[in-house]
Amino acid sequence: MNTTISLFLLQDGVINGAIYALLGVTLVLIFAVTRVIFVPQGELAAWGALTLAAFEAGHVPGTAPLLVLLGLCCVFSDMLRQRRGLNGKWFIERGLRDIAGPLALWALCIWLAPQKPALWLSVALTVSLIIPMGPMIYRLAFAPIADASVLTLFIAAIGVHFAFTGTGLLFFGAEGSRTTAFIAGVFPIGVLMVKGQSLVVLGLTIVSLIGLYIFFDKTLRGKALRATAVNRLGARLVGIPTQSTGRFAFALGAGLAALSGTMIGSLTTISYDSGFIISLKGFVAAIAAGLASYPLTVLAALGVGILESFSAFFASAFKEVIVFSLIIPMLVWRSLVVRHSDEEDE
Amino acid sequence: MSASLLNLSNVSAAYGKIEAVRQVSLEMQPGSIVTVIGANGAGKTTLLNAIMGVQPATGDMYFAGEDLSQMQIEARVANGLCLVPERRELFSSMSVEDNLILGAYRLGARAIATGLEEVFGRFARLKERRRQIAGTLSGGERQMLAMGRALMGQPRLLMLDEPSLGLAPRIVKDIFTIITDLRSSGVSILLVEQNARAALHVADYAYVMELGEITMQGHASQLSADPRVMESYLGLGGHG
Ligand SMILES: Nc1ncnc2c1ncn2[C@@H]1O[C@H](COP(=O)(O)OP(=O)(O)O)[C@@H](O)[C@H]1O
Ligand SMILES: [Mg+2]
Repeated sequence: MNTTISLFLLQDGVINGAIYALLGVTLVLIFAVTRVIFVPQGELAAWGALTLAAFEAGHVPGTAPLLVLLGLCCVFSDMLRQRRGLNGKWFIERGLRDIAGPLALWALCIWLAPQKPALWLSVALTVSLIIPMGPMIYRLAFAPIADASVLTLFIAAIGVHFAFTGTGLLFFGAEGSRTTAFIAGVFPIGVLMVKGQSLVVLGLTIVSLIGLYIFFDKTLRGKALRATAVNRLGARLVGIPTQSTGRFAFALGAGLAALSGTMIGSLTTISYDSGFIISLKGFVAAIAAGLASYPLTVLAALGVGILESFSAFFASAFKEVIVFSLIIPMLVWRSLVVRHSDEEDE
Repeated sequence: MSASLLNLSNVSAAYGKIEAVRQVSLEMQPGSIVTVIGANGAGKTTLLNAIMGVQPATGDMYFAGEDLSQMQIEARVANGLCLVPERRELFSSMSVEDNLILGAYRLGARAIATGLEEVFGRFARLKERRRQIAGTLSGGERQMLAMGRALMGQPRLLMLDEPSLGLAPRIVKDIFTIITDLRSSGVSILLVEQNARAALHVADYAYVMELGEITMQGHASQLSADPRVMESYLGLGGHG
């Protein structure tokens, strides 16, 4: 193996690592705010890629009707749960937000898709189709049990993951898709030939991470999210509505997952069930950082990406095995250095 | 009755089978300091948690004429109730200033600016340490931050759970001075304390709690002269 090959593998690793970083950071964020380990994130990422692919092919993406369906489920479950206080105003509000909104997006897709919208527009549409799914999932599966233990929430998350894999098959079919690169072509940088898409992935990831940092550090909303993560009771005592904070975290998470999805689509073929493995790598990074630190998660994700690309070169059959085996020494190490977190006491 | 700020009747709260608060009735007038004193484990914290909605409870609870029983914590906060809990519940990895800002989360930017000015005026120490991480403060500073954060929300009723717990005597004195200052600026205070002497000194009215029940009540000056209170809670009188 020579330097050129290693540099090439390194580049590949960093690019994949950047995407895992985005997914890992999202997992940490959602866990910190809601204590949910967001397993179905991978599905959202896959749907992001598949939606973009549909736009490129001039089809209406399955995510559009799916969003309407989710909206209907939300209104229906709220109706069952609330009973009291159901009146005209309630139905108009919910109907507008959860049903009319998604229907309008669907109509927009039906109108725009055959014209094969420009790339930026397709990406924007993709992200706006998937963002509302985050809070909807939260309302359907997690808000009703928001105070349950981490384990219970995790089991609910796994349930959502399986439901979504099935739904994905139904709405997108078993066929895999690939999208074209955001920027075609290759740029020589030194001895390296850098793919345009690599630059896009790196750029978008860095911009997203900086955006997240500014959001959490400077804005009141961001501080409220951090406060909820640090001390839920304290947050409730100052009047931060933890449920809407949870919905907001899920919206942010869904948006970032969708964005990662649109970036992965041109790097590898994505089908309805490929999201899980991808987000699992983000998960390995998030776990390595103790589900707590954003910078450590980014570093670990880059590590995972690089390890993966080198093991793909040397032992491609064992690529996934090597990456996932990483989690065992990491858990052992964490269990030794970190004192047991007392999240259940309150 | 409609003029009272807080009105509890027959409030009970339990942890599983353990009834920590039994049939408590309590009333307080606006602009007053009312204290609930009692030994460790008497149920004082549970009572405050029940009023705040942190702990489920039965019985009637009215705050400024509004029925609290169906309200979530957030709604009680919006109505002007504020609890400074025994464990403070600060945002320990965030700065002093961010903790304060979040205290006025629901009130918006202008209230944050004026609130910060007011709180920094009252607690000079917090101003010096505004950039410090809350988790690194000393016990007294943490208590000041907890009170400052509560004041940022412009409460009508401030409930303090053992504000002097674990603090040095000099700081305890500061805290009680602040409590009387607050009353003169119009905040009503429900004060829970094991330090009965200091609490009775600042309070207008007092309740004594034992094993989950209110056993005595009266004007603070009257209670502090009561032989039973002197013996059990003020360490006076002794063995007969
Ligand atoms: N989380 C809990 N679970 C079970 N019992 C509790 C809990 N918290 C308090 N208790 C019990 O309730 C009673 C009242 O406690 P508490 O309200 O904390 O008293 P105080 O604040 O007056 O010291 C005590 O007997 C205590 O052991
Ligand atoms: Mg107590």
